[in-house]
Amino acid sequence: MRIAVAYKWAPNPQDALVGSDGSVDWRHAKAGVSEYDPVAIALGRSLADASGAELVGLSVGGPDVASPMAKKSALARGLDRAVVVADASLQGLGATETALLLAALVEKIGDVDVVLTGDSSIDEGSRMVPTVLAGALGWPALTDVRSVSGTAGDLSVERNHRGGSQVLRLTGPAVLAAAVDAVVPGVPGVRDILAAGKKPVEEVALTALVRRELGSSVERVRIAGPEVRDRKRRMIEGSDAAVAAHEIVAALRADGVI
Amino acid sequence: MSATYILVAGDARIGNLVATAVGTSITAVVVGDRGVAEAVAASGVEKVVWLGDPGATPLEAFAGQVAALTAAARPDLVLAPSRPADLVLAGAVAARLSAPVYTMASAVRVADGAVEIDRSVFGGIARETLRIHGPVVVIGDGGEVGTDGGAPIEEVTGAPATTISVIETLPPEHAPVDLSKARRIVSTGRGLKDQGDLSITARLGEALDAELACSRPLAEGVGWFRRDRYVGVTGQKVTPDLYVAVGISGQLQHVVGARGARVIVVINSDEKCPYFGEADYCVVGDLYELVPALTAALTEAN
Ligand SMILES: Cc1cc2nc3c(=O)[nH]c(=O)nc-3n(C[C@H](O)[C@H](O)[C@H](O)COP(=O)(O)OP(=O)(O)OC[C@H]3O[C@@H](n4cnc5c(N)ncnc54)[C@H](O)[C@@H]3O)c2cc1C
Ligand SMILES: Nc1ncnc2c1ncn2[C@@H]1O[C@H](COP(=O)(O)O)[C@@H](O)[C@H]1O
Repeated sequence: MRIAVAYKWAPNPQDALVGSDGSVDWRHAKAGVSEYDPVAIALGRSLADASGAELVGLSVGGPDVASPMAKKSALARGLDRAVVVADASLQGLGATETALLLAALVEKIGDVDVVLTGDSSIDEGSRMVPTVLAGALGWPALTDVRSVSGTAGDLSVERNHRGGSQVLRLTGPAVLAAAVDAVVPGVPGVRDILAAGKKPVEEVALTALVRRELGSSVERVRIAGPEVRDRKRRMIEGSDAAVAAHEIVAALRADGVI
Repeated sequence: MSATYILVAGDARIGNLVATAVGTSITAVVVGDRGVAEAVAASGVEKVVWLGDPGATPLEAFAGQVAALTAAARPDLVLAPSRPADLVLAGAVAARLSAPVYTMASAVRVADGAVEIDRSVFGGIARETLRIHGPVVVIGDGGEVGTDGGAPIEEVTGAPATTISVIETLPPEHAPVDLSKARRIVSTGRGLKDQGDLSITARLGEALDAELACSRPLAEGVGWFRRDRYVGVTGQKVTPDLYVAVGISGQLQHVVGARGARVIVVINSDEKCPYFGEADYCVVGDLYELVPALTAALTEAN
């Protein structure tokens, strides 16, 4: 059995600088394995260990996806190997194009029984990559997955479902998006990081993939900064809690919200 | 006239999407029981294509059929509510049409053979307007059940994917909470050290007659709150008169969920916490002292 985990190498938008014209400067935002993807890797690791499967990481994006730093960070979290597509033209790709590329990658490496993904990516956060990927592969998708067990062709999946939960059986391949708190992934130690340096990473050239193009043309007609209200931003010193509390109460009274 | 397809998985609350597509010819593709198809038919769409009673089959198993019949109709615009099973249908449709898909759209306009959408990008750090020629899938807030007319229901049957079956379903333990209509909210973050300390913010909530909410890690992480009580880009969007954020740092993904609040009070011991940049009252100090003091001051004032 072969398990694939799609992970994204992405910066946190919190650290980007946004101009008043809406231009986004990412230079100060350091990329990392996207916040929730370590959960998918950890779920995949347990399933692989229990079933004797191989765990392959898949990632597509700009050139830094193939940087030593990106490879090590991902592999140190427990992948057996990684297959990446890194190309300047793939920087900032939308969900559909990303998913179509990942589907081409899954087809290229072959024999994949299940693809695990994170819940949502830290920068785009659309939650659509796993579902479009499943559509492109013609596989079912399940999201908010809490646990997976079993072997290829007979998997048991538990997921959050309408405020409760549900246990499902899968007898074919599927794409499973992990719930953000499915497991608490461990922080890689020095040994994991050293071991990661020795694990194989394959770089697949964009031209080596049978790639489906987007069926629509997209033109950006306007960008702008976020729509945020002007806030008062009044500082209230809280070292004397009682004084601060009375100041807050008076202010909220004046604002008519209490 | 442009053609819009609205995808529905088991929940008829699509009022907002119908309003978005007004002026186009709207077909709803419904997966779910007959009651859902009937409610959708009475919500302002022109036609309902219903995939028949799903029985015990999970709704996601119908994604392939939904994609096939939607793609065959070559709609200009495909809309789906932002709910888990609907996203699976939308993903299958986007894949089949090789159509771009956008979330977090605040407005959608269909004009001159193109679709224009306004959306916030990267979790809310900026906004953009896109013009798309060719099919596009847009995910939006479903809103409430619409009430308008009675569209015909066409039943199509076909075999869903049979590789996926439900073994067991456990219902929710509580009725869902809707924070979107709350007038006042006290929201707790990771600044709280211990579950037992929740009584501190709960008392403030009582004094303010407020609903209780939290940041995501407190719901999906330590599990001190139920999942439907966290605010943010993935959580609930709230628009209260008053939002009091206690021990919440103000990461973008949280902040965007409460940007609609009229007045925001942030209590945080770190004077550099990002939330102070988007607050009306930035209270610098220890929540363990400030929250009980505020509760007392409110009780006294009442
Ligand atoms: C794709 C994606 C989607 C996400 N969606 C959401 C979402 O919808 N909602 C959401 O909330 N998060 C979401 N997150 C998570 C988000 O990025 C943050 O991790 C989270 O909001 C942080 O929660 P917090 O502020 O409670 O914790 P922290 O960031 O740890 O902040 C704790 C704060 O408490 C303060 N503090 C500590 N002790 C005290 C004290 N004694 N008195 C006063 N203050 C104190 C600290 O100074 C600090 O500012 C998402 C993340 C991703 C990647
Ligand atoms: N460029 C990418 N490469 C690999 N996996 C990705 C990529 N983008 C998104 N994913 C996966 O899809 C999940 C959801 O991402 P998103 O749809 O962007 O919110 C992420 O948690 C990843 O597991």
